[in-house]
Amino acid sequence: MSEPTNRRRVLVHVGAPKTGTSFVQDVLWLNRDALAARGVLYPADRFDEHFLAALDLMDLQWGGLETQAVGAWDRLAQRVRDWPGTAIVSHEILATATKEQVRRALASFGEGADVHVVLSARDLVRQVPAEWQENVKHRRTIGYRRFLDKITDPARDGELASWFWGVQEVPDILDRWGSTLPPEQVHLVTVPRPGAPRDLLWHRFAAVLGLDHDTFAAETSRANPSLGVPETALVRRINKRVNHGVLVNEDYRRLVRELLAHRTLSQRTGSPRLSLPDDVRAWAVELSESWIRELSGRGYDVVGSLDDLRPDPADPAPYADPDAPDEDAVADAAMQSIVTLLEESARLHHDEALMRRERDAAYAELERSRGLWFRVKRRLVRAADDNRVAGFALAVYRRARGR
Amino acid sequence: MTGPVIGRDYDTAVWSWSQHLRGGGSTPWAQWRSGDHDDRPPAGWIPPGAAQLEVVRRAALRRRRPAETAALADVVLSRSGPGRGRAWQPLDWPGAPPRSFGAPAVDPADVPVSELLRVAAGALTELVLRPAGAEPSAPATGRRGLLTRTPPFELAGSPVTTSAVRRELAARGHVEGGRKPTVVLLVEPLDQALAQVWSARVQRGAPVRWPGFVDRWAGRRDLPPSADVAAIAALWAEGVGADRVHVVPGPASVDDAVRSTVAAIGLRPGRPTTAGPARWRDLSPAAVDALRRVNSVLNVRVAEQRRDIARHVARDALAATVTGEGDLHRWTVPEAHRDWVTDRARRLADDLSQGGYAVHGRLDRVVPSAAGLPTQPRSTDVLDVLLGACLHRLSSTSAARPPEGAPRP
Repeated sequence: MSEPTNRRRVLVHVGAPKTGTSFVQDVLWLNRDALAARGVLYPADRFDEHFLAALDLMDLQWGGLETQAVGAWDRLAQRVRDWPGTAIVSHEILATATKEQVRRALASFGEGADVHVVLSARDLVRQVPAEWQENVKHRRTIGYRRFLDKITDPARDGELASWFWGVQEVPDILDRWGSTLPPEQVHLVTVPRPGAPRDLLWHRFAAVLGLDHDTFAAETSRANPSLGVPETALVRRINKRVNHGVLVNEDYRRLVRELLAHRTLSQRTGSPRLSLPDDVRAWAVELSESWIRELSGRGYDVVGSLDDLRPDPADPAPYADPDAPDEDAVADAAMQSIVTLLEESARLHHDEALMRRERDAAYAELERSRGLWFRVKRRLVRAADDNRVAGFALAVYRRARGR
Repeated sequence: MTGPVIGRDYDTAVWSWSQHLRGGGSTPWAQWRSGDHDDRPPAGWIPPGAAQLEVVRRAALRRRRPAETAALADVVLSRSGPGRGRAWQPLDWPGAPPRSFGAPAVDPADVPVSELLRVAAGALTELVLRPAGAEPSAPATGRRGLLTRTPPFELAGSPVTTSAVRRELAARGHVEGGRKPTVVLLVEPLDQALAQVWSARVQRGAPVRWPGFVDRWAGRRDLPPSADVAAIAALWAEGVGADRVHVVPGPASVDDAVRSTVAAIGLRPGRPTTAGPARWRDLSPAAVDALRRVNSVLNVRVAEQRRDIARHVARDALAATVTGEGDLHRWTVPEAHRDWVTDRARRLADDLSQGGYAVHGRLDRVVPSAAGLPTQPRSTDVLDVLLGACLHRLSSTSAARPPEGAPRP
């Protein structure tokens, strides 16, 4: 980290997805009051405020959520400008911003702001399967092999490959976000290799954000949990059945992503984890080496080690193909999903019955409170449906009242 | 701090090409890059991506007034394309070492049309959001007079056709309404009816694609309410009696639909009035597709209360680029759903024939005859209408003026 200055300081954490960003954002959100008391602003009145701001900055459509994002970046930037101390902005989809959008974002923090860009990164061998899984959890039905073929194609044609590289290509993200900043203001936080202490990543984040890792290591349950191979295959099959008008986005988010994927299927243990087939693993290892070479010459502040981006050359576990999963395991996951949905259905049924009783009681109370004149008027309006004279009189009355 | 991505000569060539395009030139990059260029770009200039520059070149090919082309160039080059797509694609440059990261360099002429569409939709959105004098007012619905001699009537059915007939009748002094109306149901072939429902939804702000729209309804094995004419007829019959429901299947044109409607209701010539525009415009598939792309940007750019106006401005600009009539405006469902639509149309025809309604024509016209019709908008046509709409917007309004304080790219 550079020496502290008297200037306003802005830390922009721009990704990447699947590198502990949800955890960091939850810690910041839950501790925003305590942080503010220490001069650190996490400007958010709702937990997804930075996500909406990112949608706004990049004019991104997101299953209808974008309508809530109008003006969100400017509001966020205003709060950052008005804050005299350190402000933190964090969302992983910011990684995909273009240079023009980055220029707008950095300018919006105001003149004289000491802007630092933070990118957290994890080795590609873990990131590639995680990205496919995210795609599946966002209603995509593409098979794993096709996904791998698309992202390894140098042409990068299509929305899927563009998005993948936009949020995962570490040297390019830092080039877009950091090319106008001194390299010491660009911080690359590496995700520790498997087997490292659980809280090491948080210690690294806390160091770069200038927070005390013990004070703010709050209890947080929010994370973006991962699924095993049969569970991901199941969600993909569900997508195929519910994508054509069966579930609207809002219901999909609630029932499939949250209830099934995050709260049910991610809790299952013992399933094989997603990994890369040998040919793609070799490609990822080679690409990672070229990134490490590129990054090591840029002079960025690396929090952790560039070696963390170097994948293990081989995975000891046998490769489990999600395009041809163990059908017994998929069936077991499906059974568990059915039980969960039955429980949810029963819960909603009880809630509905309760609300219906409350509604009926409220109607009865309302009816008792209405006077005679209201009841007479209502009878006349009903009569106008069948009686021409009453109908004409009602039309004249309504026109006179401008209705 | 890092320097130019590819090199100073590259920046100089791209800068000079961008200025050439801005001035109305249309020389392809492959030809331009081999020349000598010594105009240095201003400090802080970010080279635009290949898609942005190619969109400007395509606009320049339309040979419009230099001020319009320059204004469009300023809009396109100052802002990345909205939504998902390639982050930034450099132009190919002889001798440049291969980059180990980033999107591959490309000749702008080879940029996929999908990327050009993204940029062009963003540009049109920018232009419709600029204040530009009088904006379109909402369509006048007209008001039925208390003492009118027009018999009570109501129109229902395929939304674009119904909207056009409603406007035409209003211009002749006949406004819907009244007690116990005669109901005229204008029934297009089912694929056309679905296309009209899609068009109306897009004109109302939906960003949905045509294949996705059909896919969704086919997946539900159901019809959108305004295409389910059997249900509409049955509902009206419940209220006014089946003998007052008239079905006009497959009118050949709006004039034909108007003639049938006038005959069915028994309308006499009324007092001509000035009617507002039809609520739903008869847009080509390319124009509807262009509008749904603009809708998706408007959803994240403009608050709800201003979105309707912006969308009407965009729709008018797109409509102004369309000159075709008749079959040019017709398209059908994707091949995968043709059987479903045909079966569903036959059921509709059966239901209508058994409802006891007065039918003015042959009910088998409800069944699509889709031979030769496109199944989705062609991307090149969509790009064409988007660029046409941008230039129309710039030529017909003061939108050529950038907002105050906007930097020139």
